[in-house]
Amino acid sequence: MTEHSTQHATFVIERDYEASPVRVFRAFAELDAKKQWFTGPPEWGPDEHAMDFRVGGRETNSGGPAEGPMHRFEAVYWDIVENQRIVYTYEMYLDDARISVSLATIELKAKGKATAFRLTEQAVHLDGHDNPEQREEGMRGILEQLADALKRSA
Amino acid sequence: MTDAKERSAAHTTFTLERDYPVAPARVFAAWADSDSRYRWFVHEEGWKLTEYEFDFRVGGRETGRFSQKGVAIYTQETLYYDIQPANRIVFAYLMKRDQDLISTSLVTIVLHKAGATGTKLVFTEQGAFLDGLDQASEREAGWNDLLNRLGRELGGE
Repeated sequence: MTEHSTQHATFVIERDYEASPVRVFRAFAELDAKKQWFTGPPEWGPDEHAMDFRVGGRETNSGGPAEGPMHRFEAVYWDIVENQRIVYTYEMYLDDARISVSLATIELKAKGKATAFRLTEQAVHLDGHDNPEQREEGMRGILEQLADALKRSA
Repeated sequence: MTDAKERSAAHTTFTLERDYPVAPARVFAAWADSDSRYRWFVHEEGWKLTEYEFDFRVGGRETGRFSQKGVAIYTQETLYYDIQPANRIVFAYLMKRDQDLISTSLVTIVLHKAGATGTKLVFTEQGAFLDGLDQASEREAGWNDLLNRLGRELGGE
């Protein structure tokens, strides 16, 4: 029998993007735009990414190194306020193991021509498969990829 | 979806603990069994229930719509993420008052064996309370009451 454990953690990432809230929101709302930055490291190769961006809709993204394990993100959208807020829950799996469930809130506010961006993630990490520090570091990297994508498409 | 209303999100975590004098399997059953659940969780004096569905499995949903004195209609929608019998339940849920979303939350319930025959239940809610429409303190008071009712359902008081 698996030894079950839980670890609860919250982290907040705040940063500014040199793009309007409309453009930042679009980077989350449109699959083609999100594919530009919401991906694993280049050496993983292409991932499988599908999204139904509406309240109650789902998003899945899976990929990983050739030797495994498969990393899978599965999200459900709970609240969407255009150009202002997105609330979703997501699970992360390594192969078939559910390693965490998270509640994520994204808040966007205009700051001149830029956007003040805040991500709050409240998570439960399950059965010791990963830890909150790794997740926060991973999200910081992904949000840096978003900054690069916004620059490229400016 | 687009509006001029000032938006806000207050993030809070609270934890509640209870000791129940029955085994984890019985506490779990009171959560999972729809008749038992109706008695301690769904039915409440003075509240009118207009809709209720309960599909207790991973990926399943629970939806309730209820009102008090016809003043406002509250909706609860739950999505079950993880179910380990007699051990752990993880779910996300939203609360709406009329058409307004007032909160979204992630809840973890862990059942620990306590002593020879008892259970320590640890309830953790990680919530986003939206647009100033609800307070974490009220939510915590609500769950405190529910866990007391669960205690009575289990014959502990």
